[in-house]
Amino acid sequence: MSILAFKETNVLIQGITGRAARHHTQNMLAYGTSIVAGSRPGAGGEEVHGVPVYDSVAEACACHRIDASVLFIPATRVKDAALEALNAGIRLLVIVAEHVPLHDAMIIMEEKKKREAVIIGPNTPGLISPPEKTMLGFVPSRYFLPGPIGVASRSGTLTYELVSRLTASGLGQATCIGVGGDRIVGLRFEEALRLFEKDIRTKAVLLIGEIGGSMEEEAAEAIQEGLFQKPVFAYFAGYTAPEGTKVGHAGAIVQGSRGSMASKVKALKGAGVMLARQPADVVNIAKKALER
Amino acid sequence: MRIYEYETKELFKEVGIVVPMSGLAQTPEHVREVAMKLNTPVILKPQTMLKARGKAGLIVSANYPEDAAQASKSIFGREYYGEIIDTILVEEMVDHRSELYLGVIVDYASGQPLVITSSAGGVEIEKTALEHPELLTKVSVSPSKGLSEDEATSLAKGIVGEIEQPASALVEDFKDTILSLYQLFTQYDCEMVEINPLGIKDDLSTVALDAALVVDHDALFRQPQLVRCRGLKEEDFQREKDYRDRGWTYLQMEGDIGILSSGAGITMAILDLMQAKGGRPANFLDTAQMDREGIYDAFRLFYHQRSIKTVLVNIFAGLNRCDDLAEGIRDFIKDHPLPFALVVRMVGNREEEGRSILKAIGITPISGLEEAVYQAIALTKEK
Repeated sequence: MSILAFKETNVLIQGITGRAARHHTQNMLAYGTSIVAGSRPGAGGEEVHGVPVYDSVAEACACHRIDASVLFIPATRVKDAALEALNAGIRLLVIVAEHVPLHDAMIIMEEKKKREAVIIGPNTPGLISPPEKTMLGFVPSRYFLPGPIGVASRSGTLTYELVSRLTASGLGQATCIGVGGDRIVGLRFEEALRLFEKDIRTKAVLLIGEIGGSMEEEAAEAIQEGLFQKPVFAYFAGYTAPEGTKVGHAGAIVQGSRGSMASKVKALKGAGVMLARQPADVVNIAKKALER
Repeated sequence: MRIYEYETKELFKEVGIVVPMSGLAQTPEHVREVAMKLNTPVILKPQTMLKARGKAGLIVSANYPEDAAQASKSIFGREYYGEIIDTILVEEMVDHRSELYLGVIVDYASGQPLVITSSAGGVEIEKTALEHPELLTKVSVSPSKGLSEDEATSLAKGIVGEIEQPASALVEDFKDTILSLYQLFTQYDCEMVEINPLGIKDDLSTVALDAALVVDHDALFRQPQLVRCRGLKEEDFQREKDYRDRGWTYLQMEGDIGILSSGAGITMAILDLMQAKGGRPANFLDTAQMDREGIYDAFRLFYHQRSIKTVLVNIFAGLNRCDDLAEGIRDFIKDHPLPFALVVRMVGNREEEGRSILKAIGITPISGLEEAVYQAIALTKEK
């Protein structure tokens, strides 16, 4: 088992004919992902690396059972593409694009909630389940190894950095999710934890966080409420990042004291999460977490 | 992206939110002229990107045009968070009996707009939010349906009930203001828009005394009328635009080590590691996607900064390729003798090819992150 992405997960690639999408489609196929269709208006009938292309998501869904879609669609047009996939009944979306307009992201997430779908991203390299040989997105698969650790991360490159160290020490992963770096993302840490809790293969979870936002604090609350029983360890970046200047009061009213590094560290420590202060500490802490 | 108070108030007028009479002034003489035209006591409000001007003593009132002109002399030319004050909004002083708070913001956690109202408006609203959360009302709105007439009415009734006898005219006025503000929020892709305070006048009508608005910078492509250089010199504005187009995040700091890295998370991790060991970052450039030309241009940025003693390049090539980037570095060094020490950390796609390209020009790439950071610090100390 892993979460979200499995051997049997049939995948659609939206925008498959673009240069980057072609390249990543090839990599995903090579890793073992079951890509059954691509879509691109006007490109129906073509093939990309042997994958049939359809004019619309609905057409692709009429010809194949599709469980997930990876969107290689620019941020400026991603709202329509995401709604197209959700309306066609696809329950798992990976939105790679970064800088999706907030008002578009809000519309996408509302529709996601209504349809009880899962969205990874925006602004994510995607997710990978090494035991299932399945990767959705453009995660550099060679740094990953099958194993018992679940990873949820806000940062792509930081994930590669830390996971490659785990892999080098023989500590494999069940599923690694880049939840996304945009301000609004589809899957928050707390939700990722709930999914990992149910997976028998996952024995411990690594959260890779950053300064800002409130995902880390929410995760801490969920752990403290007992919603997540497995050991959790974490690394956060941004202890010394210069703080942004704020404007208006609304942000402060909503955020309260959350978002700062002090707030995150306090919340996670309070919930019994082991914190790696430096990237080099991650391996030892992972070992301790697995022993628990 | 922030816009100025006077620009926000222009947008308010478009959607029917009442604002005080006013005029803009660039000189004390202008201030006098505007104050004469208004023919009322006035408030002088310097137009700056950052607020909290009142607490900084930058907002003053004057009863007569001469006094206003005189007072403005000590405000023009002053610096506020790096911005030189060159424009003052001269506004009629509005008598009002109470101050409300009204804001709409994108709540990242819920992924929904949040309308916030309070009967305790004014500069202390943040403190109020912490100490007396019961004085604030927050309502989540469906982004696709928008704020309904009923939701706005119930917000208005709630807030008016706290301060006045439920006067129906005031409820109506407040409801319209909430709806107009929400319309503005969606129409202009706002991340946040707020009126604080919203004054209630003796005749029980409302007036937006101050205004703040942040446009979502990721939506600027469809808000061309809002894209102007605000509080920035033309060249700084062009540079910011160029960086945005390239997908660069650049931040100037005060040390002597330049950092070129890809990905915000890893870049912050480098800052943490460096500062823990006493290294001082001069700046950092985080590039989402780097290629041969991109890294060449990025090097130019460090090349022109004299304070930089060492540049640390961190490449973890997932999307991109080490050899491509190594060629970009080689191109640059061929054209420019380096005025700084260079530490390259390189792993990922086509790592071996990249390493041999760099070795051929005398640079030995490092594969450990900590090792690279510590070497950059050591080289800087030697210089």
